[in-house]
Amino acid sequence: MSPIFHIIKKELKETLRDKRTLMTMIVIPILLFPVILSLTMKTSQYFANEANLKKIVIAFDSKYDAHPIINELQNLSETDSLLEIRGIADFSISKELIQKDSIQAALFIPETSKNALPVVIYHNGTKIDLLSRIKEKIELVKQKTILWQIEAQNIDPNSISGFEYQMTSTASAQETVGKLAGGFLPYVFIVFGFLGCMYPAIDLFTGEKERGTIETLLTVPVQRWKILIGKMCVVVLSGILAASLSLFGLFISIKGLNLIKDPELLGIINNILSFKFISVLILLQIPLTIFFAGVLIPIAIHAKSFKEAQSIITPLNFIVILPAIIGFLPQIELTAITATIPIVNIVLATKDLVAGTLNYGHLFISALVMCFIAALAVFVSYKQFEKETNVLM
Amino acid sequence: MAPQRFEVVRENKYLKNMIEVRGVSKTFELSKKQQKELNTTDTLFQAVKDVSFTCRPGRVFSLLGPNGAGKTTTLRSIGGIIKPSVGEILIQGVDIVKSPNEARKHIGFLTGSTGLYERLTPNEMIHYFGGLYGVEKAIVDSRKNKLYDMLNMHDFANKLIGKLSTGMKQKVSICRTMIHDPDVLVFDEPTSGLDVISAEAIINLIRDCKNNGKTVIFSSHIMSEVELLCDDLAIMHKGEIIEQGTFADFKSKSPDKSLTERFIDVIKNSEAI
Repeated sequence: MSPIFHIIKKELKETLRDKRTLMTMIVIPILLFPVILSLTMKTSQYFANEANLKKIVIAFDSKYDAHPIINELQNLSETDSLLEIRGIADFSISKELIQKDSIQAALFIPETSKNALPVVIYHNGTKIDLLSRIKEKIELVKQKTILWQIEAQNIDPNSISGFEYQMTSTASAQETVGKLAGGFLPYVFIVFGFLGCMYPAIDLFTGEKERGTIETLLTVPVQRWKILIGKMCVVVLSGILAASLSLFGLFISIKGLNLIKDPELLGIINNILSFKFISVLILLQIPLTIFFAGVLIPIAIHAKSFKEAQSIITPLNFIVILPAIIGFLPQIELTAITATIPIVNIVLATKDLVAGTLNYGHLFISALVMCFIAALAVFVSYKQFEKETNVLM
Repeated sequence: MAPQRFEVVRENKYLKNMIEVRGVSKTFELSKKQQKELNTTDTLFQAVKDVSFTCRPGRVFSLLGPNGAGKTTTLRSIGGIIKPSVGEILIQGVDIVKSPNEARKHIGFLTGSTGLYERLTPNEMIHYFGGLYGVEKAIVDSRKNKLYDMLNMHDFANKLIGKLSTGMKQKVSICRTMIHDPDVLVFDEPTSGLDVISAEAIINLIRDCKNNGKTVIFSSHIMSEVELLCDDLAIMHKGEIIEQGTFADFKSKSPDKSLTERFIDVIKNSEAI
């Protein structure tokens, strides 16, 4: 047997006997995508089903109560329990009602009687799952109208096109960009915030154990929780710094490198990057990073070596990334319920912040939940740091 | 097993007991992994069993014993790093469990494995620990300069610790241990792994501490060091003190035998009982 083969055999044997290596090398790569994809698809499916079961309210100006299109829509709603046709006296508030999600679409029928101008259907362009359902209803009505015209006039069906209509979104360009692409921003600062916390956490806790400095530190007349908080602050600051610098890098790439050529999109982005936006973003980052530190520190305290800490923490990356991916899904919005789900709430709040549709009540719930989770994480870290067997080799 | 006392240390009315260890026991919970490693089903492991002794100012107390005897656990308990499960430890009359921070102010702790912050310079390290001990910056500077003179450390005071030799690092450790001018010094195998020159610096330090009226407790495997420094001693085996008294009395029991031989005899006798 050649020496190289001999060495390969021994190294392979030793490597495969290390449970942590097996975990990182075999188990995680095999399970990662099935877990991420199935969770993402299931979540997406759940919200899509929820959206499909939501009643669509199409409003119209009540003065057109007798209009044939409205009549057809009302006929359709009698057989479709998920459709409601509602006349409103003051049609000028219809866009506001769409934005509040009180109604999902509003039918504007032009004054001219000859169908020269198309019917305008207002809707919220960020709710892409509803758009197809609204279009489907309108198309059904259009088909009914065509049949009705054929029967009445006894003419060639090919020469009749029913009525023309156009879909117009009530959402602003910023809102559309925010809802559809805003998930990218929290993804960036979650990933970098976590990575920013990861190495300092391992270095300041496991590293101190490995280097033998923790024993020296524990002999000083300082309460242990103060040592923990001092170290934890550094971990949190590192996370915030890494996340902030990643956003700064993004900002430089947009502003400095002139990568976005579309002046309209650039205008929207410039509009988004306000002082208020950056302030709220940093406020959202703080509890999130404390939470990350609180998750990482107990592991780092418990681990006996840098390698052990790294092998436990690496799979956590994927657990953290998962809620960030959920933020990309357009159906999921920040509500009183989603505001209680850690990380997901920050992702959704950031999306709303980018879109300019942030509900401060939901933001408050999100911040409260994150602060509670962060406090819990600090408490767990404290308990782990108090354990003698954890801090000493 | 009751410790075999061959002479009661005479009370000196002028010397207060600086370290009093009274009936200390320490039990650790064993994890599943540790149970497997130790080949036991016991969930608890008693590292120290009912240990009592006192250490006085101006004297060096040696804690001797084979590996796993419980020396490090005892010294860590005295240093306030771990809490005893049973018993009490008084440092200058202050209970280390009830008032750990007050007691720790009087202790300087040094082990052979004591690590240093390799990305700091000796100056930064000394100021960091001075600050943690609550010593004013001006006092830290003054003590630091004296220690630097004594240990000849000025040349590398601003170099990163990671780039220093083992001997230089040991000097930094000594300086760190002494910066708050502690009355009690705990040394756990302080010369372990050091070369002869670095070990000598530690031995000189212990001797200086003794001459300055400080209380020193140290553990060691190296009998020549014990012979050089020791005034009082206790021998531990399997978590218990099996013998304690003055060094002079310990030696005089078998004057024809070397210290190592005498030590081995004591261990073997305790196992035979």
